Amino acid sequence: MSVRKSATASVRRIATLASTTARPTTERERERRRIAVLCLPFFALAIVAGFVPLAMLVRISFAEDTIWMVGWSFGAWETLATTPAYRRVAWNTLWFVGLATAVSVALGVAVAHALEKYDLPAERVVVAAVSFPIALPGIVVAYLITVLLGNQGVVTNAIATVTGASALDLASATAITGLFLGYVYSLLPRATMVLRGTYAAVNTQAEEAARALGASRWETFYHVTLPEIRPGIAAAAILTFRSGLAIFGTVLILQSHQVVTLQIHNEISVGSYAPDVAAAIGLVYVVFIVAFTFVGLRFVDDDAVEV
Amino acid sequence: MSDVTLESLTKAYGDEVAVDGIDLTIRDGEILGVVGPSGCGKTTTLRTIAGFETPTQGRVLFDGVDVTHVPPEERNVGLVFQSYALFDTMTVRENVAFGPKMHGVPKAERRKRADELLAMLDIAELADRRPTTLSGGQQQRVGLARALAIEPHVLLLDEPMTGLDAELKTRLRDEIGGLLADLEVTALYVTHDQEEAMAMCDRIAVLADGTLEQVGPPAEIYRRPANPFVANFVGSSTLLEGVAENGRVDLGFTELPVAAETNGSVRIAARPAAFELGSGPLEADVADVTYLGDRTRLTATLPDDTTVTLHADGIDGYRVGDSVPLSIDEQRVHVLETD
Repeated sequence: MSVRKSATASVRRIATLASTTARPTTERERERRRIAVLCLPFFALAIVAGFVPLAMLVRISFAEDTIWMVGWSFGAWETLATTPAYRRVAWNTLWFVGLATAVSVALGVAVAHALEKYDLPAERVVVAAVSFPIALPGIVVAYLITVLLGNQGVVTNAIATVTGASALDLASATAITGLFLGYVYSLLPRATMVLRGTYAAVNTQAEEAARALGASRWETFYHVTLPEIRPGIAAAAILTFRSGLAIFGTVLILQSHQVVTLQIHNEISVGSYAPDVAAAIGLVYVVFIVAFTFVGLRFVDDDAVEV
Repeated sequence: MSDVTLESLTKAYGDEVAVDGIDLTIRDGEILGVVGPSGCGKTTTLRTIAGFETPTQGRVLFDGVDVTHVPPEERNVGLVFQSYALFDTMTVRENVAFGPKMHGVPKAERRKRADELLAMLDIAELADRRPTTLSGGQQQRVGLARALAIEPHVLLLDEPMTGLDAELKTRLRDEIGGLLADLEVTALYVTHDQEEAMAMCDRIAVLADGTLEQVGPPAEIYRRPANPFVANFVGSSTLLEGVAENGRVDLGFTELPVAAETNGSVRIAARPAAFELGSGPLEADVADVTYLGDRTRLTATLPDDTTVTLHADGIDGYRVGDSVPLSIDEQRVHVLETD
């Protein structure tokens, strides 16, 4: 009985909320309506482009017939859980993107420090150069790496000429180092943008007080600046790691390391067509990203940055 | 502690000269106030002493030793900011112990020093709190304790009371002034509040447009301003034009027995207290009345249209348009300049 009463009360509350939002009479209600109007397009898009496809992925992953989505089967999940190759892909993805994130955030701290703490002579050029990779498709990044480190690459051939080694042996564009460079190059702008915002809020006078108290520049950074930008570092790491997990174009071209996005691609390619397994991998990926973001946000100060 | 000397100190940012050839000494154990309008070079001077600005010309000397190009961390100066600038990620005790830590003082000793300073500033019970949980006055005490913990050559205070409420400001001013005097700290106290400077400082330097207009004890600055700028900036003054001759100054509407260095045109600075209301040879028309609580500020016009500012008792009911008798106390006027 009490459950029924509670449910009725909840329905009434929702009905009242909908009614007052549609026909507001107070400023609070009008504000609620403005929020609803502003957020409506996003939620519409999220439902069409996010929740509906996700629901379909769930269905495909459990479907006996993946084309017509009929019947029920745990086959895809069983394959995912019992095949060692998938665990290797997960591990490959985590360590590789984790390392690329660590390097990108470290470089991002250095770049943000330089941009925010000093009057650089060509600051706009530096900002443009740092943010440039964000506009590059992954395929182009892969091409740049190939031009640099491929069989015909500038660096490869320069080293080959100097050392007398074979350019083919030296070619690292298809090796993991080239891919790693491509990842860092793509992720650095994201880390830098978040960190610049955090740096702008650092208390410069506290840094000056520290130096007057005898702290060197490094000690000031370690004891005063770093604790202040820690939430920004966490935010940058979350954003960068998520972005790193999603990189596909670069890895597709260079093919030098098996990560989750490439694995999903392989599962739906002709020859090894397994859309149910691809759907299951995709779902694990989404759940991981959501959980990672929620856990990560615990280390981010509410007011410090937005991820 | 030590004395600090600025020799022909000049600091320019491109074509903009912030400090222009200042010669100034902060004596050992003295609190020197620096006052002046916004943009006059007060903070630039302070930052140059701290080492955060390198002078375009001139030198900074601590105890006669040139420190012009010594980095801030090697100067041993204590800084106290208007915004407190405490380390929010540390406790109050850690804030105070930070300087000694950077100077290599062992942990037990720096903790003891921090606790002593916190007790001295009457905030011992806040030692384990974070700065963000403290009031403005408490934060400023922590800032002062932190700066004193390194036993600085010179303590630099940059508008430390600005932003505090009037009652707290008065209380803190007395406490800090007393503490600095007891510790015989050499200090530079930058403020735009003349009353604060007069109450706390042994001497006051008045800056305008990057130049030093006058330096001296508060009473001298107030009673014997060097020029019209100082006369008007420190307190308020009415400037009266006159002609000096044989120990008297003819103001046109009256004569005063005031000695000037030479005969001829002079300018006289008269503080509000120089005008005595209620009796006297002059008649003035009240043009404006501002009630200030303990007193009333009147603006009145003399027969020759000279406008003067004077104070009346707060309970006197003057109104605009009243005609009031007044006299000028020649003991309270000061001859500024002679042509």
